[in-house]
Amino acid sequence: MDLQNLNPSSLKSRFTARFLRALTEINAPKTISSSSPREIFQRYRRIKVAADKSMAYSVRSRRIWSRATLWRLRTRSRSRRLVSFGRRASVKTRTTASHGKENKEHHGAVLGVQAEELRELVPGGEAMDLCNLLDETAHYIKCLTTQGFCVYMGGLLCEGCC
Amino acid sequence: MEKDEALTAPRQPAWNTEVLNCATEKVGNHFRNPNWDNSMDQSDPFESALSSMVSSPAASNVPVSGENVIMRELIGKLGNICNSGDASCYTTPLNSPPSFDFSMVNLLNRSTLTPFSADPGFAERAARFSCFGSGGNSGGFNDPLMDSFNLSGNQSINVNGSQSNKNSGSDKKNSGVLRSSSPENAESGVSKEESSVSQQIQSQNDSGTRKRKSTPRGKAKEIPSPAAVDAKVASENDESNSKRSRRDGAPAGNGNAKASNDGNEKQSKENSKPPKDYIHVRARRGQATDSHSLAERVRREKISERMKFLQDLVPGCNKVTGKAVMLDEIINYVQSLQSQVEFLSMKLATVNPRMDVNMEALLSKEMFESRGPLPHGVYSIDSSPAFPYGYQPQQGLPPLNNGIPNTTETPFSMKTQGFQLPSIDRFTDAHPQVGSMWEDDLQSIVQMGFAQNQPQSYQGSIPTGQVKMEL
Repeated sequence: MDLQNLNPSSLKSRFTARFLRALTEINAPKTISSSSPREIFQRYRRIKVAADKSMAYSVRSRRIWSRATLWRLRTRSRSRRLVSFGRRASVKTRTTASHGKENKEHHGAVLGVQAEELRELVPGGEAMDLCNLLDETAHYIKCLTTQGFCVYMGGLLCEGCC
Repeated sequence: MEKDEALTAPRQPAWNTEVLNCATEKVGNHFRNPNWDNSMDQSDPFESALSSMVSSPAASNVPVSGENVIMRELIGKLGNICNSGDASCYTTPLNSPPSFDFSMVNLLNRSTLTPFSADPGFAERAARFSCFGSGGNSGGFNDPLMDSFNLSGNQSINVNGSQSNKNSGSDKKNSGVLRSSSPENAESGVSKEESSVSQQIQSQNDSGTRKRKSTPRGKAKEIPSPAAVDAKVASENDESNSKRSRRDGAPAGNGNAKASNDGNEKQSKENSKPPKDYIHVRARRGQATDSHSLAERVRREKISERMKFLQDLVPGCNKVTGKAVMLDEIINYVQSLQSQVEFLSMKLATVNPRMDVNMEALLSKEMFESRGPLPHGVYSIDSSPAFPYGYQPQQGLPPLNNGIPNTTETPFSMKTQGFQLPSIDRFTDAHPQVGSMWEDDLQSIVQMGFAQNQPQSYQGSIPTGQVKMEL
């Protein structure tokens, strides 16, 4: 619906700028990469948080999911470990659960199961009705692709220069 | 009755204009009351509807299909005009619950169902009496009409509305037709026209139109419903689907009993479900017309509109039909995108980053470059082949494993424990064409980056290697 509002180049540039800044902050203290999995994992998490945060900041508060993401990141920073582990587990269960439920047929306009899953996937989706949820999902998908693209390009260039 | 037939049969157009003028003067003034602000827009259709009603080409036993269609359309419009007074938020000016009509409809339906079709005169008289009774006048058109408007608006909506809703499979149409017909009968005393009109409409409907199966046969309710259906058919070409749906909803009345409406809604929903695909949404005829079903229909249309948009966004969903499957695809896609980002960030974490200013400049250049070759379609490119993780269901993992250099093995092994694998299984290259575009862009970017940093042995091998990895 708001495809016009989302200018790919501007979103990408905003996201990229922020993400790069975050990356430099993350990588600055450690010029020598320690290949221990734990440190790599920590760095990975920080990078992911940076990616999510920069994406959410690029969208500001225009979208419900961006606001939810920012809020979640802020609260998560207080209780980081538990939340991240819990999220992972829930993602795993969601993945398996969705496969099982795909065979179900739903009549009528209200598709409760998939809507529930979608709500869990899209940040901040719990409080939205289906109509807004689909809107947010569309915008979220666009931003996710942008995010992935930028992170990927960043990874490529980083690999290239090291 | 007889005079109407005589009048109507030969000179339809002239008659129409005459009645039009007469009706306009009488009714139009009334409709321009402050209470009927919405009717300003409706004066013309009302006039036309009136003319059509009065003329009643249906009086002739050999109905001209075109005329009947027009007449039915006018009838429907008339019904809509009559309803304009109680416009809800979802109703266009043409829509409004019929205030006075309900009383007529109620009485009409109650009095005789089967006999109505059999003996039009009786029903007409009953309608007229009801009309007059409500109006308290036996006079001309205006008084009973106005009285019925005033009265029914306040009192009888709920009762009559429920009745009318029950009676017709297509509530709005039935009520609309009856509404339109009853005032006509009252004013012109052409009760026979109404029945004949409805009868002819019914005959026409039975043959050609997409009549609702739930509409009961052999009952009086059928008559208004076919008429309404025809009216709707006639008006279909003129109005948009959304407007039509709203119009359908409006006449049923905003304050009608929900129970009856729900029953009708179920009927209408059942009938409308088969033809309704979330991609092609057309206004269903014979829908319940209360505000709830109307709002729900609007909501459903919005949802289907968004589903269509999402379908364009998610690759490979063009063949998918149905909301459930579509939602499943969307869910899978979002999950894969999220895991994709996680994987990429993990990959980034393993790379020893030497972030210098050049990198930022490089990336800014990359953004600048990507604007060109990848215009607004960048998202589709990103999604499908962009990374090696283009989203497509059911394809293998091997390209990723082979292409990624050793530095990623560690995090990758870590990831194997987690949820990444099942989602990565879905990563594939979807569109080779887009992939080629991506490849060119990527090559240019990477080469640019390498050229800026330092010419190294990577320059030749890694870019191509990585490009190969993608494909």
